[in-house]
Amino acid sequence: MLKEIIKNYLVDSKSIPAETFDAQDLRVSDLGMDSLDMVEMLFEVEDRCGFQLSDPTRYPTMSFAEMIAAIEAEIREHNNGELPELSLEASK
Amino acid sequence: MARVLITGMGTLCPLGADTNSAFNAALAGLCAIRPAQPDIAKWLPQGLVAPAAAEPDLLLDKKYAAIDRATQLALVAVQEAMSEANFGALPEDSERVGVYAGIGFGGAQTVDTLYQRFYTSVANAANEKRNPVVMHPLSVPRMMANAPAAMVSMHYGLNGPSHTYSVACASSAVAIGEAFRAIRDGYLDAAVVIGTEAMLTPGSMLAWNALRVMAKPDVHDLSHSCRPFAKNRTGFVLGEGAGAIVLESEARAKARGQEVLGELCGYGCSSDANHLTAPSVVQQVRAMRQAIEEADLMPAQIQYLNAHGTATEVGDVVETQSIRTVFGAAAEKLMISSTKSMHGHLIGASGIVEFIISVMAMNRGAIPPTATLDVADPKCDLDYVPLTARFDCAINAVMSNSFAFGGSNVSLVARRYA
Repeated sequence: MLKEIIKNYLVDSKSIPAETFDAQDLRVSDLGMDSLDMVEMLFEVEDRCGFQLSDPTRYPTMSFAEMIAAIEAEIREHNNGELPELSLEASK
Repeated sequence: MARVLITGMGTLCPLGADTNSAFNAALAGLCAIRPAQPDIAKWLPQGLVAPAAAEPDLLLDKKYAAIDRATQLALVAVQEAMSEANFGALPEDSERVGVYAGIGFGGAQTVDTLYQRFYTSVANAANEKRNPVVMHPLSVPRMMANAPAAMVSMHYGLNGPSHTYSVACASSAVAIGEAFRAIRDGYLDAAVVIGTEAMLTPGSMLAWNALRVMAKPDVHDLSHSCRPFAKNRTGFVLGEGAGAIVLESEARAKARGQEVLGELCGYGCSSDANHLTAPSVVQQVRAMRQAIEEADLMPAQIQYLNAHGTATEVGDVVETQSIRTVFGAAAEKLMISSTKSMHGHLIGASGIVEFIISVMAMNRGAIPPTATLDVADPKCDLDYVPLTARFDCAINAVMSNSFAFGGSNVSLVARRYA
C-alpha cells in the first residue's frame, strides 16, 4: 500500500514512468528528485498518516525498497507497531 | 527613450475567460455579481461576489492543479496575452524580458485553506490521531506574493527581473507603470505584466465585511448591487480575476513585425500621506497630470477614462472633483465609466483589467457603460456613460485610474500607435 501511494504520486505528479518501479535494485537517487521534490513526496504519506516524518535527508542514499521500509517502520513506531490502513486517495 | 507598445493582452475575469468575451460582456452591460458561495453566505448572508468566469485549473496543464488560485488565474491570462503577441517561451533575448506583477493579498486561498485545515484538525483532535501541524510543504511557495511572477518567469524562461508590487487596489497599475519605465529607459526590451487576485475566501470576506465598504444587495436585481457614481450607491463588490499584457519597445516589436494594439505613453503616481482609506483630490490630480504630461497630450485629447469608481460614498465624489480639476472644460466632453459596476472590484487585478478594457475601448471605438447608473448623484455630475454602451466613438487616447487604500494613486495613459 505504501509503495503504491508513493509510486502513484511520482507517476502522476512527477511524470516518472511506471515501469521504473519494476526494477528490483531501484535507488531513490535514480528518481531524480531534489530536496523539494522529496518533501512533497513525503507529504503524500504524512497527510495520510497524520504526522511529520523525521529527517527527509536520510532517504536519497537508500534504495527505493529501503526507503519504503524506513517510512513503514516510522509509521509503525507511531501506531504501537501497527500499520494503519492508508487511503490511496490523498485528502489534500 | 524607447516608445513602449502593447502587443498582447489577456484576461480571465468575472466578465469572461478571454479579452474579447469580457469586453463584449462589458459593452452589453452584463453584471457578473452574484450571491456569495455557501461557505461565505453561512456567515454573511448578504454577501456578494464577482467570481471568475471560468475555473482556471481547467484551462491549465495538470501540473498547475495545486498552486494558489491567484497564480492559476495569472497563468491563464498570460497564455492569451503571449499568444496574441506571438511571444513563445524561451525567447533568444530572455535576459531583456522581465515579469512585472501586481497582487493585493498574495496567496489568500492558500492561507485560508491552511488555517481551516489547522483548526479543523485541532477541533477533531479527540477523534483523529492527526497532528495538526502536518501541512503541504509547498504552502509557502504557493502563498508568497511573488508566486504568480515566479511561475510566469519559470514557465516562459524569462531571465529579466521578476518584480511584484503589492499596492492594494493600484497593484497592477503600478506594475504596468514600472514595466513601462524599465522599457522606456532601456533597462529591458519587453515585459510581461500581470495583475491577479483571488481572495473570495471566508477569511478575507469577513475582513472586508468588517471594513463596511461592501455593497448591499439590490432588492430589484442582485447583479446590479454595485452602483458607482449613483445616488443610491452602497459600496463595492469583491471580485476575482487576472489580466496580462505584453509590453515591448518599438524597436523589438518592429523588428519582428508584430501587430501593435496601442502605445503606453503616460504613467503618474503619488501618495496621499494622509489617511489609510480616505482619498485626496490633490494627489489624485497630481498622478493624473503626471500621466498626461508624460504622454505629451492635452487633457482634451483624451476621450475615455476608466474611473477607479468603487461606489463608495466619498470615493466617487472625490474622483469626480479630481477629474474636473485635471480636465477643466474638457471634462464635459470626456466619457467616463466605472466597469466595476459589472466585474466588481478585482483589487490587485483591477488596474490591469481596467487598462485592458480602456485599450479595447480605444481600438473598437466603443465605450462600456457604468451599467448600474440609473439614479445620478448630483455630486458626480460628469458623463459617466450611464446604463448603455456607446458605439462609433472616435477615440485616440484613454486614461485609467487606480487609487488604493494606503493612499497610493496611479494613472495610466495609452494612445493609438502611429
